[in-house]
Amino acid sequence: MTHLYRSILSLLVVLCFVAQGQAQQTRTAFISGNFTSATFEEFAREVEAQTNYHFYFDATAVDSLSVTLQVKEQPLSDVLRQVFQNTDFQFAIDATQRVFITRGTQLSVSLPKNFFEPMESTAESAPQVAATRLQGEEKEIKKAGSELKLYEIGVKREGATGKANLAGHLRDSKTGEPIIGAAVYIESPLIGTTSDQYGYYSLTLPVGRHELKVKAIGLQNTRRHIMLYSEGKLNIDIAEDVRTLKEVLVEAEKDKNVSGLQMGMEKLDIRTIKQVPTAFGETDILRVVLTLPGVKSVGEGSTGMNVRGGSTDQNLILFDDATIYNPSHLFGFFSAFNPDILKTVELYKSGIPAKYGGRLSSVLEVTSRDGNKKEFAGSGGIGLLTSRLTLEGPIRKDKTSFLIGGRSTYSDWLLKKLPNKSFNESSAGFYDINGHISHEINEKNTLYLNGYLSKDRFQLGADTLYRFSNQAASLKWKHIFQNKLYGVLTGVYSHYDYDVTSKKNPVNASRLTFGINQSNLQADFSYFPTSKHTVDFGASSILYNVNPGTLTPNSPESLIAPNRLQAERAIESAIYASDRFDITRRFSVSVGLRYSFFNAMGPRSVNNYAPGAPKTEGTIQDTAVYKSGDVFATYHGPEYRLSARLGLTDNSSVKLSFNRMRQYIHMLSNTTSISPTDVWKLSDANIRPQVGDQLALGYYRNFRANTIEFSVEGYYKKMQDFLDYKSSATLVMNHHIETDVAGAEGKAYGVEVMLRKATGKMNGWVSYTYSRTLVRLDDAETGEKINNGEYYPSNFDKPHDFTLISNYRFSQRFSTSVNFTYSTGRPITLPLAKYTLGNSQRIYYSDRNAYRVPDYYRLDLALNIEGNHKIKKLAHSSWTLAVYNLTGRRNPYSIYFKAEEGRINGYKMSIFGQPIPTITYNFRF
Amino acid sequence: MQMYTRRLKSIICCCLLLLVGCVEPYAPEVIEGPNHYLVVDGLINGNGITTVKLSRTQNISEESMPMAEMGATLLLEEEQGAQYPLYETDPAMYVSNSLNLDHTKKYRLYIRLSTGREYVSDFVDVKQTPPIEKVSWEALDNSLQIYVSSRDPQNNTQYYRWEYEDTWAYTAALYSNIKYDEATGTIVARGRGDENIYNCWRSDSSKDIKLGTSAKLSQDVIHEYPILTLRALSEELRIKYSILVKQYALTQEAYQYWEALRKNTEGIGTLFDPLPAQLTGNVHSLANPDEPVIGYVGASSVQEKRIFVSRDELPKEWRYFYPTCQMDSLLPAEGETLADLAVRFKGGNYMPVTEIYPPQGGIAPIGYMGATKRCVDCRTRGTNVKPDFWE
Repeated sequence: MTHLYRSILSLLVVLCFVAQGQAQQTRTAFISGNFTSATFEEFAREVEAQTNYHFYFDATAVDSLSVTLQVKEQPLSDVLRQVFQNTDFQFAIDATQRVFITRGTQLSVSLPKNFFEPMESTAESAPQVAATRLQGEEKEIKKAGSELKLYEIGVKREGATGKANLAGHLRDSKTGEPIIGAAVYIESPLIGTTSDQYGYYSLTLPVGRHELKVKAIGLQNTRRHIMLYSEGKLNIDIAEDVRTLKEVLVEAEKDKNVSGLQMGMEKLDIRTIKQVPTAFGETDILRVVLTLPGVKSVGEGSTGMNVRGGSTDQNLILFDDATIYNPSHLFGFFSAFNPDILKTVELYKSGIPAKYGGRLSSVLEVTSRDGNKKEFAGSGGIGLLTSRLTLEGPIRKDKTSFLIGGRSTYSDWLLKKLPNKSFNESSAGFYDINGHISHEINEKNTLYLNGYLSKDRFQLGADTLYRFSNQAASLKWKHIFQNKLYGVLTGVYSHYDYDVTSKKNPVNASRLTFGINQSNLQADFSYFPTSKHTVDFGASSILYNVNPGTLTPNSPESLIAPNRLQAERAIESAIYASDRFDITRRFSVSVGLRYSFFNAMGPRSVNNYAPGAPKTEGTIQDTAVYKSGDVFATYHGPEYRLSARLGLTDNSSVKLSFNRMRQYIHMLSNTTSISPTDVWKLSDANIRPQVGDQLALGYYRNFRANTIEFSVEGYYKKMQDFLDYKSSATLVMNHHIETDVAGAEGKAYGVEVMLRKATGKMNGWVSYTYSRTLVRLDDAETGEKINNGEYYPSNFDKPHDFTLISNYRFSQRFSTSVNFTYSTGRPITLPLAKYTLGNSQRIYYSDRNAYRVPDYYRLDLALNIEGNHKIKKLAHSSWTLAVYNLTGRRNPYSIYFKAEEGRINGYKMSIFGQPIPTITYNFRF
Repeated sequence: MQMYTRRLKSIICCCLLLLVGCVEPYAPEVIEGPNHYLVVDGLINGNGITTVKLSRTQNISEESMPMAEMGATLLLEEEQGAQYPLYETDPAMYVSNSLNLDHTKKYRLYIRLSTGREYVSDFVDVKQTPPIEKVSWEALDNSLQIYVSSRDPQNNTQYYRWEYEDTWAYTAALYSNIKYDEATGTIVARGRGDENIYNCWRSDSSKDIKLGTSAKLSQDVIHEYPILTLRALSEELRIKYSILVKQYALTQEAYQYWEALRKNTEGIGTLFDPLPAQLTGNVHSLANPDEPVIGYVGASSVQEKRIFVSRDELPKEWRYFYPTCQMDSLLPAEGETLADLAVRFKGGNYMPVTEIYPPQGGIAPIGYMGATKRCVDCRTRGTNVKPDFWE
């Protein structure tokens, strides 16, 4: 489509030339000259000297351009075409021999054909046309459909000066969905913003005529000519860039790497995500996130990710504002998010906005699509193990839309077909359902309702059955107070639970359950006082209810004594404010402060330990009993957020950020068994909140007209009071878990280097990360020490990490992807020897995390075949053929030791130990 | 198409096999390496015989018995004072004379291996263990619970560890009144001169580490610490049961060591396992302080108390253990004689139980009932020598 769009543009330009060509021909001056590494200005001066042409350009914009050229008697247009080859500069020559040099989009030097015709004839924007000339009423919202028309905004006054605000929504012209993260800007002077998650933008511009440009991922770049008189609104519909095979990566924000203030943030579009081959042919956002620099996982198929040395519980995973506690299916083989309903995934590793809090290391914000507001549509996929179907459409056209998606496996049925008894008795299955309704009450009020449900079941052999479930619902109300201020009120409910049942041995048959409920209420406001400031502020409150564990007998013969840990309850609240201040075009800062409060509440009995003594069952002095609602522990503290950007040149910049985070909920994971059982624990009188500070510094540079991005980011992070377990800790069904854990201090540092080519036949990224994550447990007060109080590598300390994600397009319909990942093996504590002491056999373990599992590497290959590219047909379909782990490397998933007949044997379990071919059929209608 | 479907199916199956996992043995070099660290198992007895057992750790995949460390020289050393030697009575078992140590002094263990390597434990105080107040029991719902109670009026002990040795009377499953006479190759009746192979005693010692503390109490009192639970159906309770409880006072440091060791159990690989523990004992190599040495040599006196529990004291309504075993009837086949049958009992692993008489009556046996030795001879699992303490 871009291609088509470009052809139309060039045709237009050609027409312009044809129209004026005759007139020009007679006076056309030919240019001759010899330029070696001349600046554009020198070049322009020379041409102006030789001819009657006059150049108009932004000197700062062309200063990176150098002209090396030998020409003899050539027309100017040919010469310019050579000069601008392989750049994004455009030129236009008008009838009076003025030459306009622009970047990105060519300046149109003639008025559109229909410009002076009655407005009604522009079919697409017909209903709004009458309004175009209507002046005054701020209510009047223009829906700008034409690139060539002039939109007048505000109350028309002659000789108006000063500034005025322009705001509005960006929407997909086909589906009516909001467009997130699109750049909206004018070039002279350069003033810009990006649309927020509702597609809303607000810009304060000098009064007068502007060319407003809009660039968005996967959509056609577009622009609107506006005449701004006073404050007003302009909604812009943007057409989808249908031929998406070409522009796969973040083209719209191609200079964002350098020009954006945000650092340590990765934004992935669903299109990027879909290119990466996965084990079962299913698009998996978490797997793609794991390929980004600074993001690691403990192992293949493990449920969590470790961001810049943070543990897996230090990531705030938000799915449409709802916290998701277990973002995976089948122990991490699939991500919990259905790719068909996703819109974007944003990962903040540093420079975390003040709006977010509650986790130390990162924020992963997953946003679902809004549903097609114009027409009914569907999409789906059929894979070897899973299938999915998504339906969407308008409930009331242009006002209300729905989106519903479901996904399920049929692996159970296939397992039953296998001739092996242990597989017959195994079962594995999951499903997830998403629902989304967005309703535009009026221009100022919009409601969003989201629901999410996922369930998992996994059983190995006939023994232990593992089940877990996520549930989330959110209701959002967005209200625009005025152009410069809008607010969002959000109510969220999230729930996560699991249970582990074992019934093989009737005497030991048991059922272990765990559950956590979270209810949030939050209000967020965004205020755009001037074009240089963006102010965000708000408040939030979360109520937690945790069932830390219940163990019940699971058969009549079972001798398991019923056991229930007392429930936990707490409120976490925060207020925040931040201001982004663009001081100059090259220098901007964002300062923010978040203040969070945490109250642990009864009913609960709380153990008091002898001060100065290690917390053990033996040092419990007394137990205080608190009634329902009594607050027995309070923590609070400020969280500083600061980031700054200094543009060095147009295509390079340096950014710095500092942030402090506080976390009041902790996860403890029992990793000694095959299946991890995680316990989420709230801070309380005996467990302090975790506090983490991160300082990050980065250098960013784009090459070859922003098609190649290069970045180096370094960080240093300090964490306090994050929970590490003591020697021989028991984490499951422990009534006094504070006796088995201790507040450790951690430090993490690293350098992430990334080279990304966003466009072209060959695209993708290469990243290398060197990072260390070290932990120290040396509690002077209690004498609790691990490894003699020295720093030791954390479970996810993997110093070297190399990732290559590449995509090569043979033609519009065939493309291949190749992935390669290498990382150092993770640390492990090994049982080194056994011995007999006190009449019983015991195990001698190494120092904690003193050894490493084998290195990890994997090579994947995928071939995507798209159907033909006719825009109008019944269904668009594509096939993906992929081979996961092409070399068949047996990367360890789990390493465990088992006592068998007096021997202790070590086992390495690899899940994807052989090349796995998959085939997936995707469709869209 | 058929072919294609089949191939597709096999690909699917292959994927699922992979999903279910591929498990292979994992033995990194360091685990395979010769990890034979010294293990010192024992404690300094303040008023009696000190027993120390020396062994070596072995690789976790080894099945053989732990390597014994023989021929070592062990000395019990008083801080700036006397030395008392230990003698190797059994292989790798080192025993002192009965000593009465000075409670105001500190003591340690000095070890010199046959290779000349030297080890010492840290100097420790000799804790005075208060007497066991009582060992009691209670019949709970289908189980017998044994408790130990203690009290230190001086409030000096606070940390306790217990061990026990329990002994019970039992019988073989089958009573045999005949035996195979190896000399004559015939079956003869058991007489007075024959050993009793029906009534035996069996002893066991504690495997679990039993620790208690009064640190959180205002008085140094241990009240009814549950030391052992026996199911009603267990063999121990069938006739008569006896338990000897030994009590040791611990320092806080020793308590923490035993606590860590307690948690570090044999169980490995299940959901409820504790996480790996590092143990730091108090024995060090003199030459190389980094060499791992396993064991904590504490010092205290030992207090003991024994109780008996007979079947007639226990609830009548409980279901008790009753031994059963399978018996075969051996009748001569065509052309065989009883003597031919008797030969089958040669060697002693298969034993005659009773003679079989004709159903219609008669004084001459027509065959034998036979059973394995395990069913007939109780000595396979215990001793028929009545312990001296048995009442």
